[in-house]
Amino acid sequence: MPPFKDEHILIIAPGSQVTLAQLGLPESFTPARFRFPTRMFPAEKKGEYEPYKIRERRHELKDNNGATAPEDVEMKDAESAQQDGTVKPEAEQAGDAKTEGQDTSGPVKQGTTTEIFYDEDVTTDEGAVYPIENGQIVDWPCFFALLTHVYNHLSPPFHTPIMLISEPAWSARDRETITQFVFEKFKTPAFCLMDSALAVCYGYGTSTATVVDVGKGKVNVTAVTDFLVNEHGRGIALQGCGGDYMTDRFVELLGSKGFSREMCEQLKRSNITELLPPGTPLPGTAATARQGANPAATGPKDGAEGGSTGPQTGEGNGDGDDDEGVLDVAAIVSGNTSEFLANREKEKAEKASAKKGGADQAGKPLRLPNSKKERASFQFEEYVRIEPEKDTPNAPVRYMRQSREIEVGVERFLAATPKQNSADRLTGGLLEDIATQIHHTILAVPDATKRSELWDSLVIVGNGSKIKGFTQSLLGTISQKYILSPSATMFTSEIPSNFSTPLPTGGTNTPAPSGQAGPMNHPAGHGVNPLLVAATHANNPMPGTPSMDPAMSHHRSTGHSQTPTSVKTLRPPEYFPEWKEQSNTNAPGAATTGGPGAPSGGHGMEEAVFLGAQVASKVIFVLDQGLSKGFMSRVEYNENGPSAIHEYTM
Amino acid sequence: MNPSVPPSTAEYGGDEVSAIVLDPGFSTTRAGFAGEDTPKSLIPTYYGKYSSDGQESFVFGDDIFVTPRPGLSIHNPMGRDGIVEDWDMAEKVWEYAFTSRLTGPKPGNPLQNGLNDVPEGELSTEMEGVETEEKLLSDSPLLMSEPGWNPTKAREKTIEIAMEKWGTPAFYLARNGVLAAFAAGKASALVIDIGASNISVTPVHDGMILKRGVQHSPLGGDYVSSQIRALFKSNTPQPISITPHYLISSKTAVDAGQPPQAKYRTFTPERAPDASYRTLLEERTLSEFKECVVQVWPGPNKLSAAGPNGVSNEELAKSNPGRPFEFPDGYNQVFGVDRYRVVESLFDAKAAIPDPESVFPAPTPAQTVPELIKNALNGVDVDIRPHLLANVVVTGASSLLYGFTDRLNQELMQMFPGPRVRISAPGNTAERKFGSWIGGSILASLGTFHQMWISKKEFDEHGPNIVEKRCK
Repeated sequence: MPPFKDEHILIIAPGSQVTLAQLGLPESFTPARFRFPTRMFPAEKKGEYEPYKIRERRHELKDNNGATAPEDVEMKDAESAQQDGTVKPEAEQAGDAKTEGQDTSGPVKQGTTTEIFYDEDVTTDEGAVYPIENGQIVDWPCFFALLTHVYNHLSPPFHTPIMLISEPAWSARDRETITQFVFEKFKTPAFCLMDSALAVCYGYGTSTATVVDVGKGKVNVTAVTDFLVNEHGRGIALQGCGGDYMTDRFVELLGSKGFSREMCEQLKRSNITELLPPGTPLPGTAATARQGANPAATGPKDGAEGGSTGPQTGEGNGDGDDDEGVLDVAAIVSGNTSEFLANREKEKAEKASAKKGGADQAGKPLRLPNSKKERASFQFEEYVRIEPEKDTPNAPVRYMRQSREIEVGVERFLAATPKQNSADRLTGGLLEDIATQIHHTILAVPDATKRSELWDSLVIVGNGSKIKGFTQSLLGTISQKYILSPSATMFTSEIPSNFSTPLPTGGTNTPAPSGQAGPMNHPAGHGVNPLLVAATHANNPMPGTPSMDPAMSHHRSTGHSQTPTSVKTLRPPEYFPEWKEQSNTNAPGAATTGGPGAPSGGHGMEEAVFLGAQVASKVIFVLDQGLSKGFMSRVEYNENGPSAIHEYTM
Repeated sequence: MNPSVPPSTAEYGGDEVSAIVLDPGFSTTRAGFAGEDTPKSLIPTYYGKYSSDGQESFVFGDDIFVTPRPGLSIHNPMGRDGIVEDWDMAEKVWEYAFTSRLTGPKPGNPLQNGLNDVPEGELSTEMEGVETEEKLLSDSPLLMSEPGWNPTKAREKTIEIAMEKWGTPAFYLARNGVLAAFAAGKASALVIDIGASNISVTPVHDGMILKRGVQHSPLGGDYVSSQIRALFKSNTPQPISITPHYLISSKTAVDAGQPPQAKYRTFTPERAPDASYRTLLEERTLSEFKECVVQVWPGPNKLSAAGPNGVSNEELAKSNPGRPFEFPDGYNQVFGVDRYRVVESLFDAKAAIPDPESVFPAPTPAQTVPELIKNALNGVDVDIRPHLLANVVVTGASSLLYGFTDRLNQELMQMFPGPRVRISAPGNTAERKFGSWIGGSILASLGTFHQMWISKKEFDEHGPNIVEKRCK
């Protein structure tokens, strides 16, 4: 097999909301070049999918040929079946058009024929099928259609190895199914299925870490030791702990004030939402009184700066196509996408600058940090349908983006507080639940000497963690609940028992060697000699442990102290400038959303999984060339079938 | 190939199918594919039960440790002696063990996988009544383990579940003692298994258990927990109570021995989890205590005996530095000689810490590890005793108690003086914890094992009693 080249490697990282993909490894690794929304739309033909919503538009032509009438009826049936179950304005429009058509053509009913135009509606996500929910693949045909769409869109050359990032929630059988699909559909010469937590470790350049992946509806907590994923005790798809929790909480807090879910979602993504470390007082202490007293919080003023309004869809296609008849759907799909992408880029830039201006203006009069301000406002953007003009009822659906400013009180700091309606969970708040899972996961690591290192190398990734202050608050919650007090960790058992107790250094009380179980007095618990602490906390293998059994090796589950004595996050690597630049996720503009369904820009280390995927692909496909069984080649697939992937799964 | 149709899995139905190995225990249930070195799936055998919206719901897996739920109560389908009591729930727990990480829920269920979605009303009526649901294990052979004293009824019930409910094409039921011996690479061994609810000694000869020699007693990890609780109760100056993490919202550092200062979480009575939930989570703290603090007196001789130079062992133990432990509410204390005393009764029944409220009656001398070994050896042929003593295999998670193998070695040396006693205890935690699973993984992937499987056809022909004839 000829060696693989950097530029041929295809990386796909599917998530519940966004699927990241890239063809080729750049000189210096960059954030994912393509971001596909993880959703597909059912195509007209059962079991097939389209990447965008296809709307039908019918144009009625006067025609004296009555033979087409039955066809007409049939089509209407198909249409209503397709729209089945979704309440939307479009259905009304179709209805209008229908009645209109019937009114005008009443007497000459037989004489009309309907031409159908297919419009791609790139802004909507109604009727979309999300194949991944909480990490689980819930709709296989749709998931495969998405993979195919991504693959076709990037159109890699023939000799392309594929790296797919796998969710921890996928079962062994799921992985086999994916392997089989990839080899048989894409005919790839080499395939690697890499665990997302491990990819994050590659991205951070660490062999041991506790990876906390905060997703949309779930959280994964994984302890990785020496590049090995600890499957036992792993927090897999902890439900109800992702970014949606915060949106739900906002809906709960602000719903009564007229906030829609979409507003709450955008509020969550805005840069005024912040999680304050536990114990921080909210600005304006009478927060609760205010909540009741000021219902004007929502006073949405219509922003005049809807400058970037404009038709979004079907441009060119719809207008010029009247005489072309039924369109080739595929042409639209491919034709419109790039145009749309270009459009969006432009708008994003505009928006970012608008945002910057807005933020500055809002910030000037007060000059307080956000966490001190009692009220703050954010830009809410929504797509508003432009009603079709009277004379062209069949024009493509157009949208206008409106933005307006909405002011919010201290509720914006309460996103992670316990929900009132937590269904059948007794939640202690988002952060506490995650902290509990981290504690459980680390405690389940069999190699106890690694645990304290794991506590000191938390990596928090996932777009759910982008909220300002998330990491700090999580660390705060952990130290409130789990960090051991110094007196409990002094003179730990890491001193092999046949060593004598270290001599006391100035000001410390040594526990009496005949330590009775009575209360120990540690007045100087906090003023401990740091060298002594270092000596007692280091994870050194015990050199002098009395051991009679040669088989009793380093993996003993004792000779260690309780954990955690400290908790820290790992620093992201600094040698990838593209990732660093973007990593200030709360910069103005970074957190904005491009409206419903459009992914937001500016992604930093919370997508470290993609950086890790690039690092790993370089190592596995290019440097290592399969020597250490990093990937499965097609030869091996042909010999052993899909179940052999488990021997290669990283 | 049509992109919207996933490849059919039937193409590779040949020899590549690896068997599933299921090793159910009292505390945890292990499941994984044969040929792998650790079970992919490790779940607690405990399950949670609660009612939401008037419906009874179950929680399986690690989630019970992480998420409290209103009115959640904890149950275990196994009896304390390692024999299944609640078959319906045992089936559900085992199912979860292999569906959660291995096969996925209902892999081929054509009603739910979206491939056969038929618009409503088009489903032909003839389909009803036909068994459409594909069974969970219809394409994986299943190897299960059982304790050496599993009664015939339970064995037959097990194969019925595997064959009829899960539809496995081939099945085998192996003794976990034999499997642990295989994991250590031995066909003949004296297997000492220190589990959560039981300790057992199983003589294995040429891959068969010697049934008359099998001994077991309830002095397992849970018994040690009860001893630790007894110690906490009698602690001076004040008894220690364990408050699990889920009842604490934050704690403040306090000095050793000082009363805890923590903010507690409260639940309204109708939403508070059941007492059994609290007990389960207290066990978590206790196992941390066992890992960090508890130590087995390494010997020689009992803790209560006098040492070689006249100083009693207890005095010697006292001179070792104590080990600190902090409880979830922040209370912390250094444990000195007491950390030896909580496990001493595994070897010396008289050393048990009395606790009238404990569910465990005071141990009898016959229940201790040395006596079990003695009785096990007395139950087997004289000729093979030396061979067994030369191949003592230690397995089970509770055998990871610090110093356990040292002490066991000392006890064996005392009982059977001579150079031929050899203990083999893997140093790797996973190998010790999953000994019988690993043995099952080895066994099921052996080419020569193929003839041992009980096939579906044989089961249909002979009925569940075939397990008695084939799995000896």
